[in-house]
Amino acid sequence: MFMAIIEVKKLSKTFKVKIKDKGLKGSLKSIIKPKYKTVKAVKNISFAVERGEIIAFIGPNGAGKSTTIKMMTSILYPDKGTIRVLGYDPTKDRKKLSYEIGTVFGQKEQLWTHLTPYDNFKFFGAIYDIPEPVVEKKIEELKMLFELDEFINTPVRNLSLGQRIRCEIVASLIHEPKVLFLDEPTIGLDPVVKENIRTLIKRMNKEYKTTIFLTSHDVGDIEKLCKRVIIINDGQLVLDDTMENLKYHYLNKKIVEAKMKERVNLDDEDGITIIKDKGYNLKIEVDTTKRSVADALKLLNPDNIIDINISNIPLEDIISDIYKSKDL
Amino acid sequence: MRKYLFIIKTQIMSNLQYVFNIVFSFIGYFILLFILFNLWQYLYSDPNELINGYNMTQMSWYVIITEILWMTLGGRKLCHKISQDVRSGNITYNINKPYSYIGYCLSTHLGDVFVKGLIYIFLGMLTGLLFLGSFPKLTLINILVVLITAILATTISILLIISIGLISFFIEDSGPFYWIYSKIILVLGTIFPIEYFPTIIQKILNFSPVYVVSYGPAKLFVDFSWDKAVSIILAQIIYIIIAYGICYLIYKKGVKKINVNGG
Amino acid sequence: MLTEVKNQWKVTRLSIQYALVRELLNKATFLSNIFFMILNDSCMIVQWIVLFSIKNNMGGYTFKQVLLLWGMAAGTYGVSRFFFKKSFNLSETINSGKLDAYIVQPKNILLSTITSDIEIAALGDILFALIVYFIYGFNMRTFLLYLFFCITGGVMITAIAIILNSLSFWFNNADMIADVGIRLIESFATYPDGIFKGITKWLLFTIIPIGITNYIPIKVLIEFNPYLLIINICVCLLLMILAYTIFSKGLKKYSSSNLMSARI
Repeated sequence: MFMAIIEVKKLSKTFKVKIKDKGLKGSLKSIIKPKYKTVKAVKNISFAVERGEIIAFIGPNGAGKSTTIKMMTSILYPDKGTIRVLGYDPTKDRKKLSYEIGTVFGQKEQLWTHLTPYDNFKFFGAIYDIPEPVVEKKIEELKMLFELDEFINTPVRNLSLGQRIRCEIVASLIHEPKVLFLDEPTIGLDPVVKENIRTLIKRMNKEYKTTIFLTSHDVGDIEKLCKRVIIINDGQLVLDDTMENLKYHYLNKKIVEAKMKERVNLDDEDGITIIKDKGYNLKIEVDTTKRSVADALKLLNPDNIIDINISNIPLEDIISDIYKSKDL
Repeated sequence: MRKYLFIIKTQIMSNLQYVFNIVFSFIGYFILLFILFNLWQYLYSDPNELINGYNMTQMSWYVIITEILWMTLGGRKLCHKISQDVRSGNITYNINKPYSYIGYCLSTHLGDVFVKGLIYIFLGMLTGLLFLGSFPKLTLINILVVLITAILATTISILLIISIGLISFFIEDSGPFYWIYSKIILVLGTIFPIEYFPTIIQKILNFSPVYVVSYGPAKLFVDFSWDKAVSIILAQIIYIIIAYGICYLIYKKGVKKINVNGG
Repeated sequence: MLTEVKNQWKVTRLSIQYALVRELLNKATFLSNIFFMILNDSCMIVQWIVLFSIKNNMGGYTFKQVLLLWGMAAGTYGVSRFFFKKSFNLSETINSGKLDAYIVQPKNILLSTITSDIEIAALGDILFALIVYFIYGFNMRTFLLYLFFCITGGVMITAIAIILNSLSFWFNNADMIADVGIRLIESFATYPDGIFKGITKWLLFTIIPIGITNYIPIKVLIEFNPYLLIINICVCLLLMILAYTIFSKGLKKYSSSNLMSARI
């Protein structure tokens, strides 16, 4: 056995959803003889996370991501399987566990909007029983790390969304959690602010060795922050691998985009897939295990090429590819 | 053919849901009536005894009617909506439309009250029959007159509440004004008939909205007389004119104020 | 154990304090809310003046005693709404998945949830309760008892609200049941028990425990009776335990906001 910070074994959760027919008749019927439909949200998932890792936990909407996170943070009771977070069982040691973990749940706000971030942080200090002088010091420290100086005394409702998210993250770090659960931390932010938040998260991870468990639909978040990716779809674990492996696996495919002088007629061949063909503008995918890029270029007739761009497959496409392939 | 049956079915179902919600809201009304019935039973050592001209059964029917009138009104919501229209500036969009804002509010709200009123009347009558075992002696024409006074009463209530909502043109929150109005009606007009109050207060109440919006229809229902009916309907007509006039004046002044200040 | 209680208290205190700060941002609204509530409660005097002009004894209560009963009703109502406002819309908190935030905190979930907001108008009720008491007649012993009963009554109403709203863990429309239940209690609380007979009276001392929260305290205030006092305390404790147990049981059924998406 290895020492993991998070250990999830054969975890399952089903929801019993009452199906109600529409209208009064339906309401009455559902009172007398309720019909239930079981929705399997999480099916037999196992994985482990080690200290200091930043894990991307991703999947399409409704895949069971938040159900899993909620089970790890004691919000939901699992039906089957075991969870250990820092050695605690979330179903039994809720209080003990909560001292050790931090949560930032995307759009759900935990801050009092009429108060300043500073007062909010003090409140969180009280929630986690941190003595006054210690809180003061911690706030000072996090203020520097997350660059809150400008607005730490401005009521939260007057802050921009980006500033608010920074405060939300800081609020969840006041008690120095060993594991931080971040659910969609950059949702709704502009690219510059997104980048800024990512840098701060990375810095924080380095500084405190906090394990970060991140869900996001933003490929940028995943690519820039995470070394490991866990993908679930339809409640099942479909991939658990390092980011490098994930990319490497798809690295032998190249995208060739070319602008041509003359029209070329090209058909799908072994190792070549045409993605877009607009006569003079071509986009093809080359599988380098079957055919070299040079071969592909010959097919296009190099003399005819005005402009060319050869690139890797974007991570976004890799991921959606994985989602799709598991659907079939 | 099948699809039309389906459409009919879904339409009926969604309407039934609405009815179901109203019936559920009736529970609150029922609790109140139940307590008041107990109170009258305690108060009247002999059911045939007359207190201020009313016997126990009459008192019970009296509150059944006044409470129906009050509970079906939905005054707070209406007042809030008007206030909101004024504050958000929505009301100014209506200025150019080919109908009067007041008329529009009055008619839509009357429509809302209508369905709820029918259900409450049915359930209220049922409650009365179950608890009291008898129905006041009324001819069909009498009932028709009572219904007319009830509709007029609701019209006056709505107009008065609209005028209160329109106060928002001048004072930001009209809530307290509505609150005072509702207290006057509730305390002086729903539990006891006007005859229960000292003579001096009775004289004032006879000219107050209480007389036309709650006492009138309820009094006619428990103790019908043509004299009363004529004077109540007359008073109601005068009140409608006055209430509409007030609404119109406040609206005119308010719109002018907005035009001057540019919203 | 003691430090845990102390820490919990600190959070609750801060929570109330911060909510007060928020309400005080608009002083005019703050004051008018309180003022109108006092006025609102006072309106009932009209009804009782009329009733007492017909009969000078209402179910064994004198005018002053009925007044005290109203004070008691306002006091218990005020205490429960001011300190535990959120227990009255706990259903909504449960159904919308807003309980999440309290579960991840190392504090008592139920307590943190119900104390997370305050109702300013309820301060008016509490003030009204005090005014009525001083009109009734001050005496240090009954004053302390009165305060004590306002608190136990407030806690009992809160507990009932929690129990009814916790049904949301199991049933979809529990909020409607809870609303009716609370309404039932509050409607009866302002009428003397003497006017009710038979089953109704029996119900008032059992399922709708207005008898325990309001009638017993008035009897003890009029004439001290240690047994009735003990009954009041015991039922209060019992309801607290029951509320806590039912809520904790329900928590295992909690589905956060997941059910919402599954309902579509």
